[in-house]
Amino acid sequence: MAEKIGKHIAIYGKGGIGKSTTTSNISAALAEAGYRVIQIGCDPKSDSTNTLRGNNYLPTVLDSLREGNKIHLDDISVKGFGGVLCIESGGPVPGVGCAGRGINAAVNLLQELNLFEEFKPDYVLYDVLGDVVCGGFAVPIRDGITDRAYVVSSSDFMALYAANNLFKAINKYAPTGGAKLGGVIANSMKPGYHREIVDDFVAKTGTSIAGYVNRSLDVQQSELYGKTVIEAKPNSAQADIYRNLAKHIAENEDLVVPNPLGSTELRDWARTWGDRIYDIENGVVGGVAEAI
Amino acid sequence: MSKVIENPRSGCVLHGALQTVQEIKGAIPVVHANAGCGVINQLVDSKSTSVASGVSGVGIPGTVAQERHVIFGGASRLREQIKNTAKIINGELFVILNSCESAMVGDDVDAMTREIVEQGEPVVDTLGAGFNGNAYQGYENVLVDILKGIPGIKNVEEEKDTKLINIFGIVPYKDVYWQGNLEEIKRIFEAVGLKVNLFFGTFGGVQDLVDAYKASASIVFSRWGEAPAKFLNDKANIPVLNVDTLPVNVDEEEKLLRSVSQYAEVSEEDVDAFIEQERDYQNSFISQVVAARNKNDLSKRVVIIGDEEQSYRYAKILNDYFAAEVASIVIVDAKAKDELHERNNSDILNDLAEKVYYSQDKKEIEGIIKSSNAELILGSSLEKGLEEKLNIPLLEVSYPIYHSFILNRASVGTRGVLAFVENYESRIEKYEDAEKTSLISSFKSLKAEDKWIDISQRGIVSKDLSASRRKQLYN
Repeated sequence: MAEKIGKHIAIYGKGGIGKSTTTSNISAALAEAGYRVIQIGCDPKSDSTNTLRGNNYLPTVLDSLREGNKIHLDDISVKGFGGVLCIESGGPVPGVGCAGRGINAAVNLLQELNLFEEFKPDYVLYDVLGDVVCGGFAVPIRDGITDRAYVVSSSDFMALYAANNLFKAINKYAPTGGAKLGGVIANSMKPGYHREIVDDFVAKTGTSIAGYVNRSLDVQQSELYGKTVIEAKPNSAQADIYRNLAKHIAENEDLVVPNPLGSTELRDWARTWGDRIYDIENGVVGGVAEAI
Repeated sequence: MSKVIENPRSGCVLHGALQTVQEIKGAIPVVHANAGCGVINQLVDSKSTSVASGVSGVGIPGTVAQERHVIFGGASRLREQIKNTAKIINGELFVILNSCESAMVGDDVDAMTREIVEQGEPVVDTLGAGFNGNAYQGYENVLVDILKGIPGIKNVEEEKDTKLINIFGIVPYKDVYWQGNLEEIKRIFEAVGLKVNLFFGTFGGVQDLVDAYKASASIVFSRWGEAPAKFLNDKANIPVLNVDTLPVNVDEEEKLLRSVSQYAEVSEEDVDAFIEQERDYQNSFISQVVAARNKNDLSKRVVIIGDEEQSYRYAKILNDYFAAEVASIVIVDAKAKDELHERNNSDILNDLAEKVYYSQDKKEIEGIIKSSNAELILGSSLEKGLEEKLNIPLLEVSYPIYHSFILNRASVGTRGVLAFVENYESRIEKYEDAEKTSLISSFKSLKAEDKWIDISQRGIVSKDLSASRRKQLYN
């Protein structure tokens, strides 16, 4: 395989957890710092790059493939905020066809079109749909397409469950040249025990936190305007959070093969947290009575 | 750990379903798969095709699914293909055959079928993916699915025909003599005034599938006919008669006809008269078989490789006619017992043979033949290499056969079995003649100065020649 042009980073996470928002803000922050960035949305919903390109229409790679005509890069890409090259793989309508195969085909096609040779990116971000439900969704972390993956997760059990599934996929493919894990992006952090839960999860799985992103009204407002926080509220504290996250991801070379928890182990771990949260909410004081 | 199988011969569900449908006169298969699935079917069976439906190989209508049909779903492509097929081929029944890829993609083939049926076309579908099993299961699945769909598109009569019998378990192609065997079964039943739904070949057709609902009984000749018979039993209360194998002599013909008379209207006198006539016919040849046995030693030590029903049947014939020793039977299509079928022949097979194996791997089969000290192999063309390597004559009787052109030759019933007896005797005679000739020629090559020890070392007179030495001498 030819030497890879730029750093290729896959970003995974449970549906609705804020992957596209986070990825787009990272792309925008990297572009703002002067890097050449490509963001590829690997999701049939094809809305990964919306906030980078002001919600303008962009034909997806698979739409073009369906037409059967010769495809040019210009037809399936558009430059968004800061020159970020936006691409959406697209996919079938829900409930029909095979989206996993679609992602596979779209990524292959982009390589055939010499996308990376032509654009010469510093960073390529792949925003990948939800859980790694089948082989097709593991394409970006297989076969040397990316060499690092990040997972976006809140402190909710189902989000961590999805993260754990991704760890399983990385664990499987890393020994044969697949991507390793850069870290967990802790999203929608609120005051209280939320950080602690994610911290405990990364400690248990031998991974690390790439950054904490607080829940913020700035994100919601910017999205409603069809923009990233970096573009809409460049001076906000939230924009700085994304800038720091982007800087960490750009510079981080500490990649690991995670140790995913087994199903029972994960459930048991969650239950201990259930008990702890109950105690916190109800003001139960731990420890031995004499020590207080 | 998965096991390597060299020369697997059982195909896949789509392969079996396609072979089945293309032998139903009036039925048109429509394959929802990529192009290779249909073409490979023709490649593997190009030597033995008869194709009652009129479409085969590259002529089989198919969606020729491309990558875009996998990604975006292929249902609309299927709709287009069925409509186009119905426009240019005058079929009585269109059977949509699903494939691995359409099953994995999850195309809603059922909905597509309903839509086209509502437009007045006689369409049924079968949803089995290739990877669901072997070709024998394909035969069963497609028959059940077609029978399920028939009442929705054809006028099915509820009143039973007391003289009509369904015939299940003779799998087109997998029984290489299927056409002849069906004809022989037809001959036997019609001789006593019964009628048969054969479904396949020259005397079968779509109407048999409709009439199947009014039959008096379903006779199942192998495990692979159990499912359609059970379906008709559940849906139309048609009794099922399971028999071990197709009949191999007049006694078995008689037993079959007497059993069927419990369910269908058949006169005892007609059976008596027919059996007497059959017995006379069979006996008229027995003296010739005895003469042949006197001329050549026909009671060989034999290994049989084939599907369960055929292996069982040939073992019986070898015992009956030639007092042959069945060293081993290698069953290629089934296990001793599986969860989907009632049949378990392991005890009967173990009575007939010294050892019974379940394998289709060439290497394993080679080991079985070697260890059996066999003098004759009853197998398929896939054993041709072993015939040469081990210098054991091969009689090709099971699927696949590449070196013989078979139209309506039978291997069952009094007539079919006599054909097998001819082949068996001829193969042994030919082999032994060749051995004698080469031995004589080897002796002729001896020179006066040759010492006995040299001759012995050259292996000419040894009974225990190595395979390569035998080949060198005899070819």
